[in-house]
Amino acid sequence: MGLQLRSFTLQALATAGGLSLLLPLGGCQPSRPSGAGKPSLTLGAVIALTGNASLIGQDQRLGLELAQQEYGGRQPALNLRLEDGGSDEQTATLALRRLLQEPVVALIGPSLSQQAFAVDPIADRAGVPVLAPSNTAIGIPEIGPFVSRVSAPVSKVAPLSIQAARRLNPKLQRVAVFFAQDDAYSTSETKIFQQSIRSLGLNLVTVQRTSTADIDFQKPIADSLKNKPDLIVISALPNDGGNLVRQIREMGYKGLIVVGNGMNSPNIYAVCQRYCDGLLIAQAYSPETDTPINQRFVALFKQATGSASPPQFTAQAFTAYQVIHQALEQLQRQQANGQPLASMSLAELRRQLNSSMLTGTYATPLGKLKFTPQGEVIQQEFYVAQVAMDTTGKTGRFKLLSNPAPDLR
Amino acid sequence: MEAGLLVQMLLGALLGLSVYLPLRCGQLSLATPGFFAIGGTVAALLSTRVPALAGSGSTYPIASVLLEMVLAALLTGVLALVLGRMVLRLRGIYLAIATIALVEILRVVTLNLEFTGGAVGIFGIPQPFQSAEGYGAFTLVLLALVCWMCDRLEKTRPGRAMAAIRDDELAAASQGINTADTKLLAFVLSALVAGITGVVAAHFLNSWNAKLGNFDASITTLAFVVLGGSRTWLGPVFGGLLLTALPELLRPVGDLRLIVFGAVILVGPLIFPQGLITLERLQALWRRRPPWLALPSNRGRR
Repeated sequence: MGLQLRSFTLQALATAGGLSLLLPLGGCQPSRPSGAGKPSLTLGAVIALTGNASLIGQDQRLGLELAQQEYGGRQPALNLRLEDGGSDEQTATLALRRLLQEPVVALIGPSLSQQAFAVDPIADRAGVPVLAPSNTAIGIPEIGPFVSRVSAPVSKVAPLSIQAARRLNPKLQRVAVFFAQDDAYSTSETKIFQQSIRSLGLNLVTVQRTSTADIDFQKPIADSLKNKPDLIVISALPNDGGNLVRQIREMGYKGLIVVGNGMNSPNIYAVCQRYCDGLLIAQAYSPETDTPINQRFVALFKQATGSASPPQFTAQAFTAYQVIHQALEQLQRQQANGQPLASMSLAELRRQLNSSMLTGTYATPLGKLKFTPQGEVIQQEFYVAQVAMDTTGKTGRFKLLSNPAPDLR
Repeated sequence: MEAGLLVQMLLGALLGLSVYLPLRCGQLSLATPGFFAIGGTVAALLSTRVPALAGSGSTYPIASVLLEMVLAALLTGVLALVLGRMVLRLRGIYLAIATIALVEILRVVTLNLEFTGGAVGIFGIPQPFQSAEGYGAFTLVLLALVCWMCDRLEKTRPGRAMAAIRDDELAAASQGINTADTKLLAFVLSALVAGITGVVAAHFLNSWNAKLGNFDASITTLAFVVLGGSRTWLGPVFGGLLLTALPELLRPVGDLRLIVFGAVILVGPLIFPQGLITLERLQALWRRRPPWLALPSNRGRR
């Protein structure tokens, strides 16, 4: 009897708990300070803080926070609203729609190109500028007039690391390619890698398809090692790619490995550990760039983390925020008799911000940037880095190769 | 509440019902995301590749969406009919494995076909509604129709036959119930619901790709039914609504939100092995209704 009573109480409690969770659904959204009245604008960001792209998202969150610290207080004041977009389209859609409920002037994100194809059209239809800090797949700026990016497209960056591998080992001939077939970015990047391998006259001996959800890669690795490759090229995301590298090394492969932009983060150290050593990765950013803005960015990064070499995703996220802020500053200067931007209608502000953003030139940590009218970034400098792990195998750094690729298009 | 979330909750409830239908006759089928993906792909392909469907207005005509739903229902129905004949010879965990295999095969095929756009999928799917509210109303009507169908099913002969098979297949067969056909009916109905839901989801999500029908989705949709309860159609509807909304409602919790979400999925079935909504609990709630609840919603009547 006592037991029955207890179990009923438990059930009642849990039902009440479940219902209380549903309660906010019926009511209205708890109101947030809308910023109306005081001259502060809101900037939204949809970043992958969970799921298999979360290692990228962590880097980006830091970049946005550093930029908020640097620019948020300057006029026109900006508030950052960061939402977790997950690593899939549904979560990103919900996060983006949630941000569209707020008076955001522009959006930064999402982390993955695949998500961008799903959510950018929503923002574009709503007339909200979206600036992508890490979408490098082909076709992103073409989504709509309000979509642009600061991340150089894969077609510019990816071939450089193959050329670098060739310089490190001029005798290499046989190339094996791996790519995550269920990831939009990786399938887009591998096409560029394969083209570039063929155009250099190398022999593409095998193409292995993996999945971002895979953990065990024994079978595809064994299949590719049978072909005796002397270069392995991987397009994948940090978690699966890191495991893939680790297992390739564990299975005895000694040659060079080139990885794509999906793994362009020090967060892979924790996954492949000492086996990360020697990975070649093309970079759109170099911590060693000798410009005032980059020195400032590196100093901020060092203050926050203690390390002096920010990853590319952090630099790109910082740059995205910076570009939007500077475009707003420019817009503010153009206002007759110094009207605050917040007094403009939101739709008009968004439209003007978009055109101001695309016409400006920006000195950023990535170097000097500008945009094509369509929203594609025009960037001058690219680099190739090689991962050098320390003796403990726990941490390492991206060491830039001294010889940047000669044939930039 | 944000209308976009409401649409996804309603879609979740529909998918929950799709998993629930085979479970009504004791069949653990995880094929729902496979049929969902087929429906979505049909809608994505037709609406982006067939100019005749686009109409002349600024929004995509709803008649075209309905046509896509009919075609998706036909395709998934026929496929379920053919596949069901084969896989429904399996039971329990073997059926679950076979249906997971179906989901995986469809996913890998979609990833590798040119015309389905590979991993990028199909994007720029035209919108029949300007706002999420439009989708909300449309999906609500659809959910109401499917709920009505499930409700009828619980009260008519095929539905009772399904319940009999769930409780004891051998006994049901000895009473003259055609168990093979009844199970097939449930499987086909489940496929139809999933396929039609896919059509709405494809338009709502703008883009469609193979990731939307993967193994994770199989487990998520199963969780709707496990948490909500599989004895009445209200269970999966409630489970689908709750579990789709929960990760979003927990956003204020910050980084812990998926941990809390996981804990709910874990603890829910521990406390309520039959699911949150059972007939007994509904009846008990009805009996204990406070006096002021003179004319409550009739959900307690079920």
